[in-house]
Amino acid sequence: MARAVTSQRKAINTAIAWTIGFLIFFPILWTILTSFKTEGTAIADPPVFLFFDWTLENYAVVQERSNYMRFLWNSVIIAGGSTLLGVIVAVPAAWAMAFVPSRRTKDILLWMLSTKMLPAVGVLYPIYLICIELGVLDNRAALVIILMLINLPIIVWMLYTYFREIPGEILEAARMDGASLRNEILYVLTPMAIPGIASTVLLNFILAWNEAFWTLNLTAVDAAPLTAFIASYSSPEGLFFAKLSAASTMAIAPILILGWFSQKQLVRGLTFGAVK
Amino acid sequence: MSKWLQDNMPKIVLAPSFIAVMIFVYGFIGWTAWVSLTRSRLMPRYELDSFIQYERLAASPRFETAMVNLFIFGSLFIIIAMVLGLLLAILLDQKIRTEGAIRTIYLYPMALSMIVTGTAWKWILNPGLGLEAMVRGWGFEEFRFDWLVDPDMAIYTIVIAAIWQSSGFVMALFLAGLRSVDGEIIKAAQVDGIPHWRVYTAIIIPSMAPIFLSAFIVLAHLAIKSFDLVIALTGGGPGYATDLPATYMYAMAFSRGDIGQAASSAMVMMLVVFAIVVPYLYSELRTKDG
Repeated sequence: MARAVTSQRKAINTAIAWTIGFLIFFPILWTILTSFKTEGTAIADPPVFLFFDWTLENYAVVQERSNYMRFLWNSVIIAGGSTLLGVIVAVPAAWAMAFVPSRRTKDILLWMLSTKMLPAVGVLYPIYLICIELGVLDNRAALVIILMLINLPIIVWMLYTYFREIPGEILEAARMDGASLRNEILYVLTPMAIPGIASTVLLNFILAWNEAFWTLNLTAVDAAPLTAFIASYSSPEGLFFAKLSAASTMAIAPILILGWFSQKQLVRGLTFGAVK
Repeated sequence: MSKWLQDNMPKIVLAPSFIAVMIFVYGFIGWTAWVSLTRSRLMPRYELDSFIQYERLAASPRFETAMVNLFIFGSLFIIIAMVLGLLLAILLDQKIRTEGAIRTIYLYPMALSMIVTGTAWKWILNPGLGLEAMVRGWGFEEFRFDWLVDPDMAIYTIVIAAIWQSSGFVMALFLAGLRSVDGEIIKAAQVDGIPHWRVYTAIIIPSMAPIFLSAFIVLAHLAIKSFDLVIALTGGGPGYATDLPATYMYAMAFSRGDIGQAASSAMVMMLVVFAIVVPYLYSELRTKDG
């Protein structure tokens, strides 16, 4: 009997949790639904949920009118490039802090993280001027480097928390067997660190993909990624909800799918390693 | 030579990250601080000229609105997001089925850019389309929800969207905290017949104090940095009713051509962040060493 009660309770709790989940997911769901409506249906009063004539017209219009693929490509290059570059720079740093800690390791780490707390506006303008000076405003390579620098503290921090879980004895054993530093990192450390690196890459890709502050300010046309594209779509076009939703859905989809298939990494990444 | 390399490798490989962060953050903050003390307008000038920019800032009603907004937005957002996050964490801690999937759904808003999810929020908050129309459709003809276009209430729409975005994140932090509480103590309390809710209020929650502090710090810095929320939902409007310091700075730098004001407002923001974060980091360091 007692068992039955608890399992009933469990079912109720699960139902409550899913109801809240639905409420939280609603704005996202609504964006996706609206993207398949005509402009008229999108602003119908009262709102229409599922029973409307589904259409792909918005997607065609968005692609045709603004060359959506170019923005998508920019997003992929900027997010992917800055992540890759960031990991390359951060892996050695995190390795050094995790396995050869000195008295100041903790201070350096906290200091690096503290810079992430500072509002980006403080450094925006000098960087903007430098970009003009160097002629790299609205340039993908410049954005790759800037976003890499912005997220570097987080990459180092996350990699450090993962690396610390790797027992140092294994590295020592490898060293005893005469492995060079290069081989130690390449053949012993890296294979064990791959899950951690994967989570870090995922999180950083998401952060860079969503980045709006820098991309809005430092791009115009050539290097503008999806966030800038949507921001540009929402202001001058007025309230074209269906087309705006189509554009948004295309920007959401990769993250939703990527996140669903790597739930563990997503949760751990977004909480900076607090949730394992 | 190779011995020296081997010994100093940790420092050498750490150096690029260290230097990058150093120049990128401190160099540029220094520049901003310098410019905030000049008479720069459309182009930066480098002759120091007292605190003229800060005086102008103090006299600006628009910046005052931005700071008041930051205070309203920040305190409401932090308190409500923490309470909701804690409640959600306790809910998910009740051995829910399919917990992993629910956790991911709760975290989705945090994983998506507000610029993108703002589309749906603009619809929901739009009087005549979203929530207002929906509730009226159910027969409550008197229902009004037009905060988005009401200068006095518009800032609260930003609060709502921000809470939506971050509650799941706070939930995940708290859930990790709940899970890390020693199971033996909880079992002992249950054996003693202490009611379920008392176990939470008397044992589990007090032992999570450090997590409350971390959650507070993360939320506070999110609040101060909030930029895309405002851009996505209201663009700072109606008028400048929903301006936050970050959007004020942005407007000064890029549409008003007033670099001096932009720099000085950036410095004020940074001081606010420092006032919150530095004591935290300091205490963190102290406890770790001791």
